Amino acid sequence: MKFSLGRRSAAVSLVVVGALVLAGCSSSVNESADEASDCGTWAIAMHAWNGYTASAQVVAEVAKANGCTITQTTLEEAGVTYDAMEAGSIDVIIEDWGGGRWKEWVDRGAVVEAGDNGNVGLIGMYVAPWMAAKYPDILDSANLNKYADMFKTADSGGKGAWYEGPPGYTTIGEKMIAANKLNFKAIATGSEAALVDVLTKAEANKTPALAYFYTPGTLFIKIPGLEQSRIKFPANDWSDAAKASGLTDYPETQLQKLMSKKLMDSGSIFSTIVMNFKWTNADQNSVAADIEGGMEPAAAAQKWIDANPDTVAAWLG
Amino acid sequence: MLHLKKSQLLLGGGLIWVFLSRIFQGDHTLELSTAENTSFTTSVGDAAASIRGNRTKSAAFIYFFNPIRATINGFVEAIRTLISVPRGNSIIPLIGWFGVAAIVAFTVYATSRLRTALLATALLLACGALGMWQFTMDTLAMTFASVLLSLLIGIPLGIWAGLSDRVLKILTPFLDLAQILPTLVYLAPLALFFLIGTASATIATMVYSIPLSIRITSHAIRNLNQSPIEAAVSMGSTGKQTLTKVQLPMAKQMIVLGINQTVMAALSFVVIAALIGAPGLGKPVVDALIIRNVGQGFVAGFAVVFVAILLDRSTSAAAKAQESFIPPTAVQIRNNRIKIGAAGLATIVSIFASRMVLSLAVWPTSINFSSQVEDVTNSATTWITTNLYIFTVGFKDFISNWVLNPLETLLAFSPWYVTLAAIIFLALVIGGNRVAILAAVLLSLIVFSGLWHEAMITLTQTIVATLMTMTIGIALGILVGRNKRAEKILRPFLDAGQTLPAFVYLIPMLGLFGPTRFTAIATGIVYSIPVVVKIVGEGIRSVPESMIEAATAAGSTVRQIITKVQLPAAKKSILLATNQGMIFVLAVVVIGGFVGSGGLGYLVILGGSKPELQGKGLVAGLVILLLGVMIDRIAQASAQRV
Repeated sequence: MKFSLGRRSAAVSLVVVGALVLAGCSSSVNESADEASDCGTWAIAMHAWNGYTASAQVVAEVAKANGCTITQTTLEEAGVTYDAMEAGSIDVIIEDWGGGRWKEWVDRGAVVEAGDNGNVGLIGMYVAPWMAAKYPDILDSANLNKYADMFKTADSGGKGAWYEGPPGYTTIGEKMIAANKLNFKAIATGSEAALVDVLTKAEANKTPALAYFYTPGTLFIKIPGLEQSRIKFPANDWSDAAKASGLTDYPETQLQKLMSKKLMDSGSIFSTIVMNFKWTNADQNSVAADIEGGMEPAAAAQKWIDANPDTVAAWLG
Repeated sequence: MLHLKKSQLLLGGGLIWVFLSRIFQGDHTLELSTAENTSFTTSVGDAAASIRGNRTKSAAFIYFFNPIRATINGFVEAIRTLISVPRGNSIIPLIGWFGVAAIVAFTVYATSRLRTALLATALLLACGALGMWQFTMDTLAMTFASVLLSLLIGIPLGIWAGLSDRVLKILTPFLDLAQILPTLVYLAPLALFFLIGTASATIATMVYSIPLSIRITSHAIRNLNQSPIEAAVSMGSTGKQTLTKVQLPMAKQMIVLGINQTVMAALSFVVIAALIGAPGLGKPVVDALIIRNVGQGFVAGFAVVFVAILLDRSTSAAAKAQESFIPPTAVQIRNNRIKIGAAGLATIVSIFASRMVLSLAVWPTSINFSSQVEDVTNSATTWITTNLYIFTVGFKDFISNWVLNPLETLLAFSPWYVTLAAIIFLALVIGGNRVAILAAVLLSLIVFSGLWHEAMITLTQTIVATLMTMTIGIALGILVGRNKRAEKILRPFLDAGQTLPAFVYLIPMLGLFGPTRFTAIATGIVYSIPVVVKIVGEGIRSVPESMIEAATAAGSTVRQIITKVQLPAAKKSILLATNQGMIFVLAVVVIGGFVGSGGLGYLVILGGSKPELQGKGLVAGLVILLLGVMIDRIAQASAQRV
């Protein structure tokens, strides 16, 4: 028995070693591959919302056209991705909403701020559009408590259900509820997909829902009237950050680009592209809408690139 | 008499608990808003931040963590370059798909037999046909690397523990702990030291799989037939000689079986490891959850199941091949040698071909059925979620309003000292003094952590899910235990349920129940039912035939036989199944943080995303562990006292 095992292991090892030796030799398939230019291989973090996909895909396609090898890796937002940038496995975040939460990594020299990407984000709490039509005064946060009972679910502890954004998104729901003395309970949804589902189902079945969402995004195309169904909360005075701690509403945010130190220092054309990348909410929405409509992200990005050669040329520096 | 007393005590205690809870409802619940930190979680967060800040500076990182990370990364990347990712300017990995398939076929053929080799190859190709070739290769690379490293540590430790009682005694608590620890918990701490990426994922997988290889190896050494060993010793063998010439060869089959278990454990970690950057099949599954594409989740999930069957069958066939004690004849040896030589030659030719011909190097895009499978799954799910929504939501609301909410009120919305006292009392009655003291210590630690309220919410979900799991599981277990045909029909579903990652059915559950606590509970139930059914079925089956015959002769009906004979006789297995079920449920309930179940799991996930809450997330992980140990000890004690 011992003998038989030994012989077999020997045979297996022999073949594996043979494979390694063979693998070491160059082959015709390998040689047929293009020689890449000196741009290098870089990784873009992919976050889950479709606007992000649109921006990242356009940057990726432009970079590929300029000889870069680009990998796209799906990751959760914020801490997870900053850590990945520090570890060297991610080089670019093309759209980050979290005003300065990356500071610790920037201070340490692992992550570099690469400026605004041109998109302006606005987070808010939205009701299903049929409710805004039926109860016009619901859009004033002062009247929310009047309707709280309608929003009750088995999970909301006797209060109205307030569907909060995913873990990686900027969320201040609990603070808003407290500051406005609302009879609501923040319910963690876990993912954007769940939020989309909550709003879509509520509008289709005419059931009540109050959920976190944001623009730019294509959900507003799919659910007509949603954009107008944003609850108006008393505005914060954001001129004094300390005062804004009584947080009552989300501010408009210039969305940011971040890159790894490694990419910044490389002098690669890709770092120039990322630095210069800038477009409007309308640009992002047009690509995102094509992707939503079933187009492959790469094809949708290419369509936009072909239609906007001047903008793209400006990014190349 | 004593039994009656115990149940009376429990009933009395329960009534007092409900009464006190009613009076003091909402007082001292230690509720903490999600974004809020306690001084303890803040200090843990600061400690974590300083660890992150020191990654490039401190000696511990420069001389210990970073080299380990680099070595493991390098090892895994080397394997990936071989079979998965193109190197440098190339467009193919060193060995193309055809070559990999040939190597797998050859390896399985050489270690077991032709039929298994064909099955393994077919399964591998099926993964390719699902459009998952590269992910599958990444998974194989990750599994291979972590299993190899696990065995390098696990087998020597296992042999040592097999020979020395002291070592076994020292190792046992760690082995127990590792089996209770829900997988979600140790990702964040590992990522803190080894960063997000392959190394963290590999180490996390090892933490999960090493205990199994240690356990089985030491078990194998300990349970050998003693007479050959005594004979060897009496003939003057040294300890080393006895080990290498007698004990190890005799234990070989068990050890190979241990390899099988280690491989399966490593593979079951594939999906969750993707959360900290492991390449492989976990990635599309996790992506599918985020973008909520049930079909994509299932396509990748099927690939995981295929790889699982492939590795399970080939390693257990290899173990079986060690069984034969009849030495082969000279002719057989020569024939075998010729066959293996020819197969080896064919493999080498295949590898060569996979490097010369593009269609044998890169999986052909025309052979890809993923969109069909996705479409079918998606339309089936859409049909179910739109048409059965009313029923599922009705069921969810019923359970939420009549089971989940009352229990949550009792556990989480009573004053903490009332709940704490009640659980300690419960532990005392069920498990005795030692368990009660342990529970008191663990619960006090949870109170101290500041996450008591969240812990009670998670505990509530765990209990509700376990109750439902046991209700369904015992019923199915009785069926499987009494009826061979039912067992045959259910078996494949149970096996698939055990290998399909919990993440995969988290997605359709989300469609059915929305972002709620019940989504996590339902997933936990589906995930833990197979193991409960298996254990209960085993217990029912092992009830002596004579007992049943006697009962039948005495004129018992089938119902009487089940309730008066089989169930009481299988009580121990049922309690064991409850214990296993609870641990499984807990592991899934915390993953439910991804789909709106709240509680500790959500805090762990939040800690990964929001830097200011990282400390809270790490503490939440620790509290999950404390909760797990408490549940396990109480349940074990109740099983042992039967």
